[in-house]
Amino acid sequence: MSDQMTLTSLRSPSPKQICAPVCRAFLLAAPGVTLLCFWQFASGRLIRETYVSKPTEIAWRLIDLFYTGEIWPSLRVTGEELVLSYVIGVLLGLLLGYALGRSPRAASIFEPYVMAFYGIPKIALAPLFVIWFGIGIWSKVMLAGTMVFFLVFYNVFAGVRSVDRDVVNLALVLGANERQLGRQIYLPAAAPFLLLGMRMAIPYTVIGVIVGEFTSSTAGLGLFINYASSTYDPAGVFAGIFILLAFVMGMNALANRLERKLLKWQPTSQRIASEPN
Amino acid sequence: MTEAASASVLRFSAIQQSFASPTGDAPNVVISDVGFEVKRGKFVSVIGPSGCGKSTLIQMAAGLLKPSVGMVFHHDREVTSVNRTIGFVPQQAQLLPWKTMIENIEFPLLLRGMALSERRAKAMEAIKRVDLAGFESHYPYQLSGGMQKRASIARMLVYKPDTILMDEPFGALDAQTRMVMQHDLQTMLATEGASVLFVTHDITEAVLLSDSVVVLSRRPARVIAEIPIDLPRPRDMFEPYGTPGFAEAYDRVWSVFRSELNIRRAA
Repeated sequence: MSDQMTLTSLRSPSPKQICAPVCRAFLLAAPGVTLLCFWQFASGRLIRETYVSKPTEIAWRLIDLFYTGEIWPSLRVTGEELVLSYVIGVLLGLLLGYALGRSPRAASIFEPYVMAFYGIPKIALAPLFVIWFGIGIWSKVMLAGTMVFFLVFYNVFAGVRSVDRDVVNLALVLGANERQLGRQIYLPAAAPFLLLGMRMAIPYTVIGVIVGEFTSSTAGLGLFINYASSTYDPAGVFAGIFILLAFVMGMNALANRLERKLLKWQPTSQRIASEPN
Repeated sequence: MTEAASASVLRFSAIQQSFASPTGDAPNVVISDVGFEVKRGKFVSVIGPSGCGKSTLIQMAAGLLKPSVGMVFHHDREVTSVNRTIGFVPQQAQLLPWKTMIENIEFPLLLRGMALSERRAKAMEAIKRVDLAGFESHYPYQLSGGMQKRASIARMLVYKPDTILMDEPFGALDAQTRMVMQHDLQTMLATEGASVLFVTHDITEAVLLSDSVVVLSRRPARVIAEIPIDLPRPRDMFEPYGTPGFAEAYDRVWSVFRSELNIRRAA
């Protein structure tokens, strides 16, 4: 065979590469650690502690919240809202994005409407959502779910529409019917877009749920943070925020794993949102 | 020649094609009058200046485009919808990036509902024929241009079509890889017995591979010559001028083709 090639992806790791994860973890942690140290130092010296609390105080508060079990009911409610809104938003976004992407005629009618609704600041609707869906979890699920829906919808829609006509024609000549076109061509081609939308939607789920809880609620982390901030308890506020942070990071890690599994066919340099780890 | 051997497999009958002009003026006539046929087991090349609608003819034979006027017949049946009985090798390899090489090659069999074990076996057979064994589980981005092209040919061979359409398949390859591919294509087709319609703008390639070369005029295209190439096979793709009679055959095609380029330069 004359056309041979080198496969950089199949190289065995060199000593330099083995050390690399350690160095990278160190570099990754450095800015965060620096920030926490500065915070700890500045609190009470440069800024009044009642304004910003301090990391050690927040850590003790977190331990206390989990040890006494005080935080669990809030966590359970917010967790439910987050998972429900995310799952519902992603599923509906995928379904409608795919349907409109596959049907140019329906898209030409509905796209302007979807665009108009997309432009509405959902947060401004939060009070109405409470009236429509009650003070329980559903007003939060609907608010956050709407935000997730639009992000996933637009990405999937764009992904399905980006499929090259030549590829579809080729699949037709090779014997594909309509159902097979969807399963074999359109869905896999839209997968990178879907994953990008799902990743972008993670912080928006949190924003939606917390804003919903701030607006009106009987339980949840948002209520906990709101209560802490209105009682001049910055350690409580930051403890709640750190829990949300941990949630977002955990979801991101999950998204990375899903991406690596589903998009292993893409060269890493081409991935829309590639992560170094 | 027997009756069966001379039967027409693919026939273009008085084809005209025009496309709506983007400026809204009179439609753009790309093909004004093209008629020729590919007989059973024959390799026919279509050459012509760029933009003369060569690829459009392939699209018509594949049933992806209906000619404005005229008809295309495949095995004496008019092509009116997507033609799933032909083999198609596009300009770009167009492997599906999310499938491994072997999954790409067995794709036509998957679409036909064949069981996994059976289609794996057939795909392996095709992979061996195009000399790609060992790279089955590579994704397309991990394959070189030449290897992708081989895989795209294997994907076509795997369902054993009796008619093959090739649209400038080797245009994007470097010169050395192209010669190897031409050589291998000749070897594969010698055992396949398929009829081939091959579009190219490379006269050497057309003469070396074909039993007959159809020369199209510049746009709006019509057939200006159909030149039989009676060189003995196998032909040497690496040293074409070593094949007795090649220079004469090349000149016959070039003398017709050149007139088209001259007109274009004068215009």
